[in-house]
Amino acid sequence: MNKVITINLGGNAYQLEEGGYDALRAYLETAAAKLLGNPDRDEILSDIELAIAEKFRALLASHKTVVETKEVAAVLAEMGPIEAEPGEAASSGARAAGATSGTGGQKTTGGKAAESSGSPRRLYRIQEGAMIAGVCNGIAAHMNIDPTLVRLAFVLLTIFWGTGLLVYVVMAIVVPEARSPEEKAAASGFPATAQEFIRRAKEGYYEAMKGFPDRKARREWKRQFKREMRAHADQWRFNWHSYWAEHAPIHPGMGFVLPFLSLLQGAATVVWICAIISLLATGAVFGLALPANVPAWVAALLLLIAYGILVGPLKFARRACFYSLGRPRWAWSFVFFMDGVVWFVVIVALLWLAARYSPELHDAIHSFPAFVHQAADDIRAWWHGK
Amino acid sequence: MSVNEKFSAIRKGLLEFLVLQIISAEKVYVADILKQLSATEFATQEGTLYPLLSRMRREGLLDYEWKESEAGPPRKYYELTAKGREQLRETLEYWGQINGTVKKLGLK
Repeated sequence: MNKVITINLGGNAYQLEEGGYDALRAYLETAAAKLLGNPDRDEILSDIELAIAEKFRALLASHKTVVETKEVAAVLAEMGPIEAEPGEAASSGARAAGATSGTGGQKTTGGKAAESSGSPRRLYRIQEGAMIAGVCNGIAAHMNIDPTLVRLAFVLLTIFWGTGLLVYVVMAIVVPEARSPEEKAAASGFPATAQEFIRRAKEGYYEAMKGFPDRKARREWKRQFKREMRAHADQWRFNWHSYWAEHAPIHPGMGFVLPFLSLLQGAATVVWICAIISLLATGAVFGLALPANVPAWVAALLLLIAYGILVGPLKFARRACFYSLGRPRWAWSFVFFMDGVVWFVVIVALLWLAARYSPELHDAIHSFPAFVHQAADDIRAWWHGK
Repeated sequence: MSVNEKFSAIRKGLLEFLVLQIISAEKVYVADILKQLSATEFATQEGTLYPLLSRMRREGLLDYEWKESEAGPPRKYYELTAKGREQLRETLEYWGQINGTVKKLGLK
């Protein structure tokens, strides 16, 4: 007597003997690992599942409903090993090893779903770590960039044309929020996490849910599952950080460069603040008069952008240093927090000193409302003149 | 090393063009392609063919449509695009040249 496992291939249920199920699973996992880095990975995998389903179908009849282990082996031998196309093999051995968890045998999404989505990555709003509705967060995950950059782009769009706000509101309404683990995985499209989430969600979660008859036990299990998922995400984050630590362009010992980078960034900030002050007070940047047709507020914006360009790489380098420290997460949260506090204190102290000892800054602060009015008037005039 | 073994890499490279040629005749699905190849030196398996077809489709050489089958799940039927036809034409021309070269060289 053999145990039978029911699986879903391309929307149809098939019953396999346990040994056959294991063989099929191993085959699909190997295929998934071999196709890592192939842009058509999901499509090829679903093609293969459908082909296997068709072969199983041919083996079954009304009096024979279970595919035997040796039949599965024969079908898989007929399929042959998946051959990665040249140049599309896994991009790095380390990543391939990390993601061999592969697609589980129990795919509930059929071939058609994989076909219609085409790419595994979808745009969702992500609430975790969101500022407002998670739009920027979702875009950042979708494009695999820093959310701060996306937020900055939105702010700039809002400042210059006001469209950023409009686009944001529309997207907050239109773009769906990533709720299920699959959606969250699809939002960032990281293969390792996606596979792991999907595998766990489909195999462990639903299977176990069915087994709990009373609600209390189910709720307890749900809670535990969530905790486990969170632990997994933490683990993944940790792996990513250690990857950084190993592959960062900087030697681990270079974490000591950090204070110098901070100082450099501080110097840039001080220069920038002085430039703004000098612009507000004298209408010229460090004695360099503006061209006649450039209003002061445009110059201030340009200064802001220049500052951003200058400080961006510094920030990046500092972050790389942090990563190369390879510390646990709480340590870095602390470091970042302290960094923020130190900055705040330095800037406040600077402003206080300047306001007290520099008549220019005193004037600048006084002229600030007028400066804002000037900017508003100019924008209004430009808008009506259009 | 037998001639058969020596040619394994070349056969692998040529497979793409044979697939082009098979699809150029009529709309086919993977089992048809495998069947047509099975009697030749180029006999292959799904594990090789699906990644190849996916890449060719991404390169714009072929396209597919879903068709319901009377038994089992729906099937992908492949057909050539204009680009695929052009590539096939160029390949056949080039193949003719190579053939000519192989026959001509060494003869006086």
